[in-house]
Amino acid sequence: MAQYQQSAGHDGLGLDLRSLKPARGFVTVVISTLMLIVVCAIFAPSAISAGGLAGSLPFAAIIAIVGLGQMLVVQQGGFDLSLAGGVSLAVVITTHMSGGSDAQLFSSIAFALACAVVAGSVNGLLVGVLRLNAIVATIGMNALLYGAVFAVSGGVPRITTPLMAQIAGGKTLGVPNSVLFALVIMLLVSFVLKKTVIGRRFEAIGANPAAAHAAGLKVQLYQAMAYVFAQLHYCVAGILISGITREPTAFQGDSLLLPSVAVVVLAGTSLLGGRGFPISTVLAAYFLNQLSQFALAVGVPFSAQTIIQALALVFGIGVYSLRWKQAATKRALKSKTEETDNEA
Amino acid sequence: MKLNAMKMTAACAVTTLSMGLAASTALAQTPSWCGPNEASLALLDGFGGNSWRLVTTASGAEEAAKCPSITEYVYADGQGDTQKAISDINSMAARGIKAMVVFGDAGPAVLPALTNAHRAGTIVVPYRVNVGGVEGENYAKFIGSSFVEDGVSWGNWIKEVLPEGGNVLFLSGPAGNSQGVDELAGMKQVLDDKYVFINPEPFAVTNWDPSLTQQVLSAEIAKNDKIDVIVSDFGPSLVGALPVFAEFGRSIPALATSDGNSLSCFYEQNKDANPDFKLFTVATGNDNVRLAVQWAVALATGGTPPTDEIFKAPVYENSVSGTPNPVTCRPDLPGSIYLSAEMADDAQAKAVGQ
Repeated sequence: MAQYQQSAGHDGLGLDLRSLKPARGFVTVVISTLMLIVVCAIFAPSAISAGGLAGSLPFAAIIAIVGLGQMLVVQQGGFDLSLAGGVSLAVVITTHMSGGSDAQLFSSIAFALACAVVAGSVNGLLVGVLRLNAIVATIGMNALLYGAVFAVSGGVPRITTPLMAQIAGGKTLGVPNSVLFALVIMLLVSFVLKKTVIGRRFEAIGANPAAAHAAGLKVQLYQAMAYVFAQLHYCVAGILISGITREPTAFQGDSLLLPSVAVVVLAGTSLLGGRGFPISTVLAAYFLNQLSQFALAVGVPFSAQTIIQALALVFGIGVYSLRWKQAATKRALKSKTEETDNEA
Repeated sequence: MKLNAMKMTAACAVTTLSMGLAASTALAQTPSWCGPNEASLALLDGFGGNSWRLVTTASGAEEAAKCPSITEYVYADGQGDTQKAISDINSMAARGIKAMVVFGDAGPAVLPALTNAHRAGTIVVPYRVNVGGVEGENYAKFIGSSFVEDGVSWGNWIKEVLPEGGNVLFLSGPAGNSQGVDELAGMKQVLDDKYVFINPEPFAVTNWDPSLTQQVLSAEIAKNDKIDVIVSDFGPSLVGALPVFAEFGRSIPALATSDGNSLSCFYEQNKDANPDFKLFTVATGNDNVRLAVQWAVALATGGTPPTDEIFKAPVYENSVSGTPNPVTCRPDLPGSIYLSAEMADDAQAKAVGQ
């Protein structure tokens, strides 16, 4: 609740809070990332070598894109578990429908995007309009999407078209194209969320749907659209995977669900809804990916790799939560509310 | 049996294939493992959703079709769900299927169900994945695959191409999988201390997932200036990852692995640009199911069981010596088929739906 009040209060309260808060989430992620880079430089320099980054950054870009999609849903206080199905469906549509031929590539991509809009609309209808629990609705949608994955692919992987491999796996001026895609999407999301009326309303609704409704905003529509745009993000991520991985499996989305939630949380978006932090989300995606590269580069056994990643995540989220609590206490004092216990 | 037969028709989660059509091809010559007693046969998969499994399943059906005494052949896919795999086994036993060939992906978790079926009088033949238990007590016969043998084949080839020793990077599937452990044991039998394994013990974990393989491989390449040979037990999953070497301006090294059409074609396309790229493959083992089917059919119909009890994957391609085969790419066929399998290439293409 403190989150709601403080976020809802933004537009009215003036610049001091507004400039402080993004800095807090952002600073945490930046510091964690810089620390990780220093640790890599000392213990596993190969993880931050040019070649090492060229191999790992495309996967960070994928996590960033699905993370941005998940962020939109989390901003509305929801959860999107249909991410895995959405990503996998986009992968199999672009690899199977194109049949390995460049000529069919763009029509298959258009079809994948259309499917994403349909899936997102159904999610939006169920959660935004019919008020179903987001977890229940999207887990059902995930099963439906996997049904479609099997219908399209029969579960069989297929090799991507050469053009797609070039688009998603290629480089422009030494930067992997997938990273450029992620950056463009991040700028787009940031611009729309922070600089347009639609985006401001979207955040206000996430922060306090009741107040937004009282103010005459179309709460249901905005909440529903969060799911549609989230699916479009997953779809783009799936299309990129089909180019980055030559022969992607039909279940490529499975391993992305947890990272997508992790980066949203690491970036400081409240699971109760409210403000989103696109730039921090992308940085957190880099952080998370770099962490697994670090664990790989150190060359410890697999069990230790998993533990290192888990500890770093706990550390990242722990640092963030502690800062949160302090901040929340201050804010609570300031606004004379007594709801800090929700932040623990 | 009558009741069971009725249940049989009621079950809907299972694909039923009529053997009548296929039987005509088998009339020419009945193999010795096919006895005179009529029987029904089920092939149970723990997870059927990749091209390797599709080819394997089709191979199993093809083998069963050689025996006219098999009156019915059914297939069930556990879809990677242990609960479903167990219930498939139970329902097949309840339906009165005479013999079942089981790919027990879940390992010992399916053993109780197999044991129950065995005690109920079904001929149970698990294959490839070790499910624990004892032959004759928990099931009729286990038809394993000699992964140690694969390791020995790779090790011998590595000694040929790198007589002075070198750095070996070994990639396998999920952490602790017994296949990878056995293969390592096989390699260690042949390779001495001159050959250094640069991966974490016992192997680099890839989950046999192409995208994770790519990340693992790029981390290993960045870390190690010198990789002389890569060993992987799932060759086609490397196709997406090997171009990473170009990022570092290095040649793809020698590769000892299992076969796949996409991998062979990748070799053909990239061998000129990569002077150190040599390829050695063992058959990826789709035909393991044939041996298991032969055993199950022999025990169920009163035929003569085959002499082999373990499937030994033969060496398939060797780009250096060209024996037993040079690297063979069929660009006209899908990348996800296995030319090493006994099944005809076109039939495989049909099996994987392309």
